[in-house]
Amino acid sequence: MSMKEKDVVQEPPCTSESLSNYLWKDKPDEDKWADCVHCGMCLEACPTYELTGQEQHSPRGRVHLIKSVADGKLEVNEQFMDPVFACLDCKACTTACPADVDVGGLIEEARGQIRQAMPLTGWRGAVSKFFLHRLFPHPGRLQSAGNLLKLYQKSGIQTAVRKTGLLKMMPEHLATMETVMLEVKQSVRKKYHKEEVVKAKGETKNEVAFLTGCVMDVMFSDINDSTVNVLTRNGNDVAIPKKQTCCGALHVHAGDRDMGRKLAKQNIEAFEDADTVVANAAGCGCMLTEYPELFREEEIEWRERAEKFADKVVDVSKYLHDSGYEKPKAEINTKLTYHDACHLAHGQGVRQEPRDILLDIPGVEMVQMPNADRCCGSAGIYNITNPEMADGVLESKMENVPEEVEMISMGNPGCMLQMAMGVEKYGRNEKVVHTIQLLDWAYQKEDKQRGQT
Amino acid sequence: MIISDLISDLTSMLPDSHVEEKSSPNQFFGNDGDIIISPKTENDIAAVLHYANENNKKMNIAGNGTKRGFGGTENKADILLSLSDYKGIIEHTVGDMTITVKPGTPFQELQDYLSTHNQKISLDPSHPEEATIGGVIAANDSGPKRLGYGSARDHVIGLRMAYPNGEIIRSGGKVVKNVAGYDMNKLFVGSMGTLGVVTEIVLKLRPLPKYESLMLLTFEKESKEEIRSFAVQFLDSMMEPVSMELLNPELAEKLTGQKVLTLAIAFEDVESSVHYQEEFVKNMKSGASQMTILAQQEAKEFWKRFNYLFPNGQREQNGLAAEAVVKVGVKNLDVIQILKESDWLEDAHNVSVHAHGGLGHGLCQVHLQGAQDDIIKAIDSLRKTVKQLNGYAVIKHLPLALRQVIDVWGGKPSYFFLLEGIKTKIDPKKTLNPKRYVGGL
Amino acid sequence: MLRKKGLKTHDKHIKKLAAIVGPKEILFHKEELISYESDGFTIHSHMPKAVVFPTNTEEVAEVVKYCSDNDLPFLARGAGTGLSGGAIPLNGEVIISLVKMKRLLSVDLENRRAVVEPGYVNLKLTNSISDKGYYYAPDPSSQYCCTIGGNVAENAGGAHCLKYGVTTNHILGLEVVTPTGKIMEIGHDGIPDAPGYDLLGILTGSEGTLGIVTKITVRILKNPEEKQTVLAYFDDVADGSQAVSDIVSAGIVPAALEMMDKIAIEGVESAAFPVGHPKDIEALLLIEVDGISAGINEQINEILDVCKKRNVRSVKVAQDDEERAKWWANRKTGFGAMGTISPDYLVQDGVIPRSTLPEVLKRIGEISKESGLRIANIFHAGDGNLHPLILFDSRIPGQTDKALEAGSACLQACADAGGSITGEHGVGIEKREEMRFVFSDKEIEAQTDIREVFNPHYLLNAGKLFPSPGRCAEVKKELKAAE
Repeated sequence: MSMKEKDVVQEPPCTSESLSNYLWKDKPDEDKWADCVHCGMCLEACPTYELTGQEQHSPRGRVHLIKSVADGKLEVNEQFMDPVFACLDCKACTTACPADVDVGGLIEEARGQIRQAMPLTGWRGAVSKFFLHRLFPHPGRLQSAGNLLKLYQKSGIQTAVRKTGLLKMMPEHLATMETVMLEVKQSVRKKYHKEEVVKAKGETKNEVAFLTGCVMDVMFSDINDSTVNVLTRNGNDVAIPKKQTCCGALHVHAGDRDMGRKLAKQNIEAFEDADTVVANAAGCGCMLTEYPELFREEEIEWRERAEKFADKVVDVSKYLHDSGYEKPKAEINTKLTYHDACHLAHGQGVRQEPRDILLDIPGVEMVQMPNADRCCGSAGIYNITNPEMADGVLESKMENVPEEVEMISMGNPGCMLQMAMGVEKYGRNEKVVHTIQLLDWAYQKEDKQRGQT
Repeated sequence: MIISDLISDLTSMLPDSHVEEKSSPNQFFGNDGDIIISPKTENDIAAVLHYANENNKKMNIAGNGTKRGFGGTENKADILLSLSDYKGIIEHTVGDMTITVKPGTPFQELQDYLSTHNQKISLDPSHPEEATIGGVIAANDSGPKRLGYGSARDHVIGLRMAYPNGEIIRSGGKVVKNVAGYDMNKLFVGSMGTLGVVTEIVLKLRPLPKYESLMLLTFEKESKEEIRSFAVQFLDSMMEPVSMELLNPELAEKLTGQKVLTLAIAFEDVESSVHYQEEFVKNMKSGASQMTILAQQEAKEFWKRFNYLFPNGQREQNGLAAEAVVKVGVKNLDVIQILKESDWLEDAHNVSVHAHGGLGHGLCQVHLQGAQDDIIKAIDSLRKTVKQLNGYAVIKHLPLALRQVIDVWGGKPSYFFLLEGIKTKIDPKKTLNPKRYVGGL
Repeated sequence: MLRKKGLKTHDKHIKKLAAIVGPKEILFHKEELISYESDGFTIHSHMPKAVVFPTNTEEVAEVVKYCSDNDLPFLARGAGTGLSGGAIPLNGEVIISLVKMKRLLSVDLENRRAVVEPGYVNLKLTNSISDKGYYYAPDPSSQYCCTIGGNVAENAGGAHCLKYGVTTNHILGLEVVTPTGKIMEIGHDGIPDAPGYDLLGILTGSEGTLGIVTKITVRILKNPEEKQTVLAYFDDVADGSQAVSDIVSAGIVPAALEMMDKIAIEGVESAAFPVGHPKDIEALLLIEVDGISAGINEQINEILDVCKKRNVRSVKVAQDDEERAKWWANRKTGFGAMGTISPDYLVQDGVIPRSTLPEVLKRIGEISKESGLRIANIFHAGDGNLHPLILFDSRIPGQTDKALEAGSACLQACADAGGSITGEHGVGIEKREEMRFVFSDKEIEAQTDIREVFNPHYLLNAGKLFPSPGRCAEVKKELKAAE
């Protein structure tokens, strides 16, 4: 038997008008998917599509899924959750999209629906609750977690763990992560806890407020240190508002938009007096600029304040680039490459500024990394929640890191951790650095040389 | 039915066409008919086809007969349909750069007309004065400028075909870009008249180049490596030759008087660009011992002579000597090997060989002259070499007697069932050009 | 998260297909399939039965054979960027996704060819050989993501096909799985003019109804020595279109000759890649000339002269690659950019003889008025390939139908002007009925005859390309077959 032409379905254009299956508050925004014309320009930009080749793991596929729930064709369930939570939030699709569809915003809204429909249970729920509710919003506690980590590192247990092969008993991805945990030093907030404002070295030209970030300040405290050094050296008074808290990015990515709003409000208030809010973690900076999105449907009275706040936020590299900085005179002779953090390049459109800063350091030779703005797979805590996919993304990232470089520079702590893991896992030996750190080192070297002469 | 009945049937049916008995069918090349019909209208063409198809008559199709020696194993069919009276330009839209013509129009006539508008059909088939555009299309012919020009399949944008049942089927259209439905033009171009009779052809045109020149390079040592390395180096440059044809010494002698392996490089562009490219070649370390530049008219005349080097089906021969023209397709640079092989054939099989091939596309033509047996042997041996290079060898011109003993198409491809399926769908009674094509289609 | 669960299904066909391609390479849950209910053409949608991801030719052939033997309709899909609905599973097909067959198999610069798998993305080919100075010419606007397999199916064009031709002019060889599961190699080693009917020619542009391409040998070209790009603004559309004719009549063959009208400019300027075109101009031309450096300036000057004669408001030449790239990004993302000025759009793809440009544009203006819908025009003016973009909002009842009617009317206008209903997007589902504007019933039957030769059981991509038999000869044929 064969199919006859007359058996072929000739359906009329679809005009289904059915009930939305989004039953909770803060619904995905219809206007966002209305812009999507399903052209497919986003496909090749998406790391999870590259890996799987499956449309439901592509930006337009996800948008279509989200729309299908609103059209009543799908329900909010486990199968819907998979592709929505597999998104890395890297926003590369937003850059690729000719119509500027806010895929990231839709995904986060959809995650909000999923979390309200299906609260996390079991160990995932517990872990998530511990990190997102008990830890990140409380710098003090993070500090002590940091202390714990410090204890762990200092006490020799770390060495013991590594030596005894206990590592092998940990899940593989956690084991790799452990090996790259950085040495924890004193956080900036603790260091400057007595000062409202860290004064500029020399004449004050500008005043800025500094978002220290929660993880950044504890686990990457030396980067924060460098940031304060670089800012003050270039004539900036740096305020570190005490009331500031976690930016909420991880909460919003996880679908916990209520907590996201709570943290957003606290930050908006904390930085109310500042004209410029400088961030050195791309993920945090990007989140701050997206606060208005959180108040689209809920607590709309905050929307305007959020917009005003968002306009003040700027990444440290862009801030330095725009406000001017002193070119270091000491040489750092190194060959390096630059990795575009997603939330810097795609999220904030900052691409050239950090590169210019690096090239201004005498002795630095930059090697172009192919697909430099491809996600590394860190994506907040994605590498913890979706290890398999994150590994695949990391592998393709590491393949692009040029062989001959000594350092990989970038502007986001999450990326740094992930790239450090990549270096470890693939037996490479590049050093992973923050752009501002390198600038600070050049300044320090310059000062030292001046001191010697 | 006896021939006279057939003639009277057709004469009454086709008042506008010339119908006559063919007194002495072409014994030498075959593909002839008992009667010859020369229609002047599409209606008549359709009517003849319909008649033949209904009455189980076989029919050969011809233009001016230059490809009479290309394919086919029969001396004659019932009818020879000649399109040589069905000629002329139907429409030329200068601004659109398209032209619609009847198939019997000689190619050169078209080019001469178009040149008055500074336009041309971007093709350089052999025997342009005699060859009709219909024949060029049916055989998908191309010449030494294939590299820059492409082939007939690249220029045909629309066709009207009379199917064997007499229906007129249009394919393509009058626009240069068109993907509505299947690209049926492609099916008909090169189908050797086995699917239908072309009654109208729409071609896209190109502007006449403002300047042209030809560089002839000869290589003293005539070593394969030397030529290859020059070709590779030149093809890797950004120059834009329209031809890069390698000529074997015998062929070169006919054209230039010098019996030496010669590379002909042609440029067509604005004058400054052509000279710039000539300079580029001069400055290359080519290893060439001699470089001659022919400009404008001189170049044109060279190519004109080139296009008349080989025999065509209009010309019969006497005696036991025969001529063959073999079209060889290989990978671009393997052309060098085919040309070397041709030289070897000369000694091994006592034939004279004139050969040329394009380094930018891999198509060669090998002209063999000699005793019939020797020609068969030479072709067999050439085919062995070609097979090793994954290529093919199709005999474009050969006397009927030899076509009956050697498969001019070189066997059936693995997908022959598709070719056969197409033929059977369109011409189930095998009315048109019987046994003229691949695998006896 | 990749689905790790085992196959939970009782469907014997799914089980069997999973056994061929592997349990991780098949999708069959509703939530996984819904993304495959349409391609770049969203007005129609239909759910597939399953999606399989073969990784080699043999798997494709096995899947096809299984479907063919078991009367399961099936079709091939690449990136799903087609604009005429060619990859929509109208009959609940098993979709054979070729995106995992995405390797570049070989590059032979000396003989100027490359062999790719069908899922290989168009632009990646150029990117992978550009350091050696080579490129692959067909450049559809979706080249960032569309696959070469899809390009072959649609005979894709692009902005630069004016000079260099469309996909069919660049295909040297194909490996094809026939609809009954046989593997065929056509155009051995990419050697041109293989004896026999031109199957490469008929397969290219057959919109996935004659076979599934599993390997493609393409011609690659050396980069032109120099490239110059001109941007010209016109206050009158007629002047702009006249300039197009004049340029071509002057004996110049530009590599690309593109035009956008006022609404289109509004769209691209409010989207992701604005150039800063003035808002009040009626038309712009983007003209690219390439070739030997020594001859380029002469041509550019001639183009500038033509523009001036045709009352150009301003005209400029791109100063560097960056500026050129900016202009092209603006143009190439033009369709998607319509999302910023309209919730939905329908893009049409008519072709007309270049000389009829002014009258057809006028007619499109009338159609816009009659339908009450805005129509933007982005098109390849050099080869007369129009892309009227009909802007509408599917949420407003009746607007979708109106847009479809307006689209059809635009195609009628093109056909009336002696043109065609599609230049590069294909017929697919979208323009099946409009095929009647250009072909008679018998001519359509001549084409479906060819389909029967390749696709005898009619299980591969059924219902595409040709109008449904209603009054046409095919019905008679169907009846005959039934007798």
